[in-house]
Amino acid sequence: MSGGDTTGLLPTATGAQVRAALRGLLRPHRPLAVGAFGLLGAATAVGLLTAPVLGRIVDLAVAGRPAGDVTAPALLLVAIAVVQGVCLASGQSLTARLGEQMLAELRERFVDRVLDLPLGTVERAGSGDLTARVSGDVTVVAEAVRTALPQLARSLLTIGLTLVALVALDWRFLLAALLAVPVQLHTVRWYVRRARTLYARQRVALGALQQQLLDTIGGAGTVRAFRLTDAHLARVGDRSRHAVDLTLRGVRLMTRFYGRLNVAEFVGLAAVLVTGFLLVRAEEVSVGTAAAAALYFHNLFNPLNAALGLVDDTQSAAAGLARLVGVSRLPAPTWAGHRGGSAAAGQTDEDAGPPVAAEAGAGLRIEVKGLCHAYPSGPEVLHDVSFTVAPGERVALVGASGAGKTTLARLIAGIDRPSGGGMVRLGGVPVDELGGQVTGRIVALVSQDGHVFAGPLADDLRLARPDATDEALRAALDRVGALDWVTALPDGLATVVGDGGHRLTATQEQQLALARIVLAAPPVVILDEATAEAGSLGARVLESAAERAVAGRTSLVVAHRLSQAAAADRIVVLDAGRVVETGTHDELVAAGGRYAALWSAWSGNRV
Amino acid sequence: MRNGTTSARTVLVGAVTGQARYVALGAVLSAGHQAGEAVVPVLIGVVIDRAVGAGGVLDLLVWIGVVALTFAALSAGFRLGARAGERAVEQAAHRLRVAVTRRVLDHRGGLTAGHLPGALASVATSDAERVGMVNLALATGAGALVGLGVGGVALVAVSVPLGLLVLGGAPLLLWLARLLGGPLERRSHAEQERAAYASGLAADLVAGLRVLRGLGAAPAAAHRYRQASRDSLAATVRAARARAWHDGVLLAATGLLVAAVGLVGGRLAAQGEITVGQLVAAVGLALFLLGPLSLVSWVNAEFSQGRASAARIAAVLGAPPGTPDGTAPPAEPVRGRIALHDVHSGALQGVTLQVEAGTLLGIVTTDPAVADDLLRCLARHVDPERGSVELDGLPLRVLDPAQLRRVVLVAPHQADLFEGTVLDNVAAPVVAGAAAPAPRNPAPVTGGDDPLAVPAVRQAIAAADVTEVARALPDGLHTRLTERGRSLSGGQRQRVALARALAAEAPVLVLHDPTTAVDTVTEARIAEGIREMRRGRTTLLVTTSPALLARADRVVLLDGGTVRADGRHADLVRDDPRYRAAVLT
Repeated sequence: MSGGDTTGLLPTATGAQVRAALRGLLRPHRPLAVGAFGLLGAATAVGLLTAPVLGRIVDLAVAGRPAGDVTAPALLLVAIAVVQGVCLASGQSLTARLGEQMLAELRERFVDRVLDLPLGTVERAGSGDLTARVSGDVTVVAEAVRTALPQLARSLLTIGLTLVALVALDWRFLLAALLAVPVQLHTVRWYVRRARTLYARQRVALGALQQQLLDTIGGAGTVRAFRLTDAHLARVGDRSRHAVDLTLRGVRLMTRFYGRLNVAEFVGLAAVLVTGFLLVRAEEVSVGTAAAAALYFHNLFNPLNAALGLVDDTQSAAAGLARLVGVSRLPAPTWAGHRGGSAAAGQTDEDAGPPVAAEAGAGLRIEVKGLCHAYPSGPEVLHDVSFTVAPGERVALVGASGAGKTTLARLIAGIDRPSGGGMVRLGGVPVDELGGQVTGRIVALVSQDGHVFAGPLADDLRLARPDATDEALRAALDRVGALDWVTALPDGLATVVGDGGHRLTATQEQQLALARIVLAAPPVVILDEATAEAGSLGARVLESAAERAVAGRTSLVVAHRLSQAAAADRIVVLDAGRVVETGTHDELVAAGGRYAALWSAWSGNRV
Repeated sequence: MRNGTTSARTVLVGAVTGQARYVALGAVLSAGHQAGEAVVPVLIGVVIDRAVGAGGVLDLLVWIGVVALTFAALSAGFRLGARAGERAVEQAAHRLRVAVTRRVLDHRGGLTAGHLPGALASVATSDAERVGMVNLALATGAGALVGLGVGGVALVAVSVPLGLLVLGGAPLLLWLARLLGGPLERRSHAEQERAAYASGLAADLVAGLRVLRGLGAAPAAAHRYRQASRDSLAATVRAARARAWHDGVLLAATGLLVAAVGLVGGRLAAQGEITVGQLVAAVGLALFLLGPLSLVSWVNAEFSQGRASAARIAAVLGAPPGTPDGTAPPAEPVRGRIALHDVHSGALQGVTLQVEAGTLLGIVTTDPAVADDLLRCLARHVDPERGSVELDGLPLRVLDPAQLRRVVLVAPHQADLFEGTVLDNVAAPVVAGAAAPAPRNPAPVTGGDDPLAVPAVRQAIAAADVTEVARALPDGLHTRLTERGRSLSGGQRQRVALARALAAEAPVLVLHDPTTAVDTVTEARIAEGIREMRRGRTTLLVTTSPALLARADRVVLLDGGTVRADGRHADLVRDDPRYRAAVLT
């Protein structure tokens, strides 16, 4: 996150960083770029011929030539129109392709990095910010790419060629025309200064609106049940109104900008007319030349305003681009280079690193040593936690809610880094040194926040192993006892599940999570309350499913249901962030400590 | 997807008529702007004729003064016209955004299945904006037409045939643009669907980021997004190509119009029917006309996109409700007696059950699908295929859903929390209830805005053991939650959600596995808290947790879709092997 704006939780790139990123994106498309801009240039150049050909018609009329002589230049105008139209259409569509390709690469790189961001950062920033970046900002940048880029090119070409024509009439006309420039420069500087902060605020407001919409729409069931509809409509309304207010302030700023440019137009036109008046009086130019100069300058209005007005589009696009590039510039995840899905999830020993791979078959040892952790601006959650899980061993983690079990699970899975020191080793290698990709392959964490990915069920499972055949998917489902209900779904493996798809029960969602583990086949598995959400009935189904899923792997099971703990090889009891007891079920019950108390509370209910 | 009352057309018309004042104002001012722009080339000719060619310094100053006035007028027309037009855009978009949200939250439901939340959010933002843009397009289009008119009149003043040529050619261009707009509209529709899918996918992947990271599946997810992005790219490139050819053909057609003016005007000048000065004016005007004509092409494209977006909004607004509306108010006074008569719905195979007012009833199901279908019937997300669910003797289907929700609260198992502090979340139903007083009056809100002044909130916080949750948070009850409470652990989130359900003090409360992520010691404490707080009110606890069931007045066992056992927890544990199997491990 070097450089750029780091006041926001997600980084925003500086201007220089954005330019460098754009150059990088453009490089592979150079021939396309040359073709696109060449065609646009041709369209503009051909379009500029319209004026002289019309002038030729005037000349013919002045010279008193027969009416039939007008036909030839008129046909030339027809040809100009057709060529200009074709060049514009092909140029514009090539420019769009160029821009869209660069944009697609940018947003893909962006999503790559987002998927690699530290979870804590994403959680604090809120998914609305990310969603606004990936949809809103992408759209703003795309609009700019599709309309601003070709227009800017055409305008600049027109301005350049017209100024040359003005000099050809008399150099003093050019001097007069340039009188407008100070006004224009001042206006642009005035505008850019105000626009930058205003657009930034507008973007923040739009992000907040997007987040609120996702909250409200995603939690619609809860909103309805608690009759919070009015409160949520008011929230959406307030945020929308705030965004609208800022947008309208932006419009006022933009119209004042063009108002000032009108002043520049008038200054320039008056100067050209006065120059014409003086030069005609001095008999240095003819009335016709003065008229031509005035008309040329008048023809500059539109391209000039277009070019200067693109400052506006460029501003919003640049703001959007900076937010996309900001995230894209984060160090590339190690897998980002892999294009193919199977390569990305490939399980080559080379990638995993030799010390880890050697042990992988029999499961890996987990060593936790002196772990201390606190969340930012929160109290310490873990104090000096140490224990070991032998290869292939199943250890249950037991403790009251809030004892730090989830935090510990996340640290071991390498999702968070311990803030207060200590170390986690997997197969003898510190998690820090493994790198995100290798960690992800070695250790799988099933967290309490289940998520069913929207789309066909098979696609959801293939996230765990992209190259899995339907047979492999079925085998994995069978292993966790889910094959029967999956087969019974309307379209079997192809049934669309997740948000907006077929509804799965809590138990089914958890079975799916376990099937993913079977497919991913990591040597270390951490189950964090994976069976808890389903009720005790589903829990029994899931407990046996989990048992089969983790068989032969090193596993750490965060257990609220003590039956799970009792079935584990060993138990680690956590209380208020400290390990208070370790041992087998029988040892701990006999010891009469924390665990024994929990066990009696648990089994007491069952007599 | 659509019913008779909401079509793309009604959405568009509503967006325009709702802002008629600003659209009209924008149109008038924009017309003034365009008329001013049309006068400028004429004035240049006049300055050349009267001052540069033949006049003195005074003539020059007078006419430059006139040019200055014209500029002031056209500039003001543009500034104020654009503001009015943009206001119409933003206000229409705002209204549509709220309308879409309102439809999504409609108590009759029937929408959230079949749409990704991200895609619905995109309908509420991008599509609303694009429909709103139609207002600006209308205002600007009207201005452009006036500009064309003024230019045309000026041309007619120069020469009748020339004027007629332009006035006949311009509508022909409009027609051509409309003809080309059709395919563009279809492409635009496809493009937006794909873009919505890609952004919906990105949002879905971000939502499931924890799962992806836990699984090391981020690379596979990135690969999947890349494929969606490539699909979206192909669609946008096709749409952009259609748009480019649309623009190109329009430009060529405009050029042909100018060529025709040149040909006819040139012949007239050569034959001496018009002066050279008039020919120059005619050419200047024809060139000026390129501006408003290209505006027409922009307006046309905006209309196409607006129509495509309006169709998507109409599909949301017009989605049929999940259950038909009842109108009857619940019986007064609300007692909270619930009865199921031979209910068949999904996995429910004829459930008959009487729940007396004030009972704490435990419901144990051996099949999670039975529990889900029972809750859907109680929440009236569906009406039973056969049989009926009654509240105080009235079938739920005849009751007004808004009033039904006030009496019967079915708290979803999934604990969705919202932005705000822990306390805000717990107190949300109390605050909402105070805004619209319930028949059974909630505790009066005393002590200003402090929700803790409401006894129900304090009791609920204690009962659900949120006190313990707050102790572990940096700012206690005033800790702000991010992203639907994802910053809390599952157990913490569940307890906050439970406190919220209890704080509502609904006459009938249905809870579904409210303590699955809570440890047993805490669970026992919470069970007692629920019992205390719900004393005298009807409570249905759908759960298999012995800690909760032990405190119920009565427990029923649903197995195979019907009631198989009915009694007290202790008795059932002792006497019923099926119950024992379902509840005890």
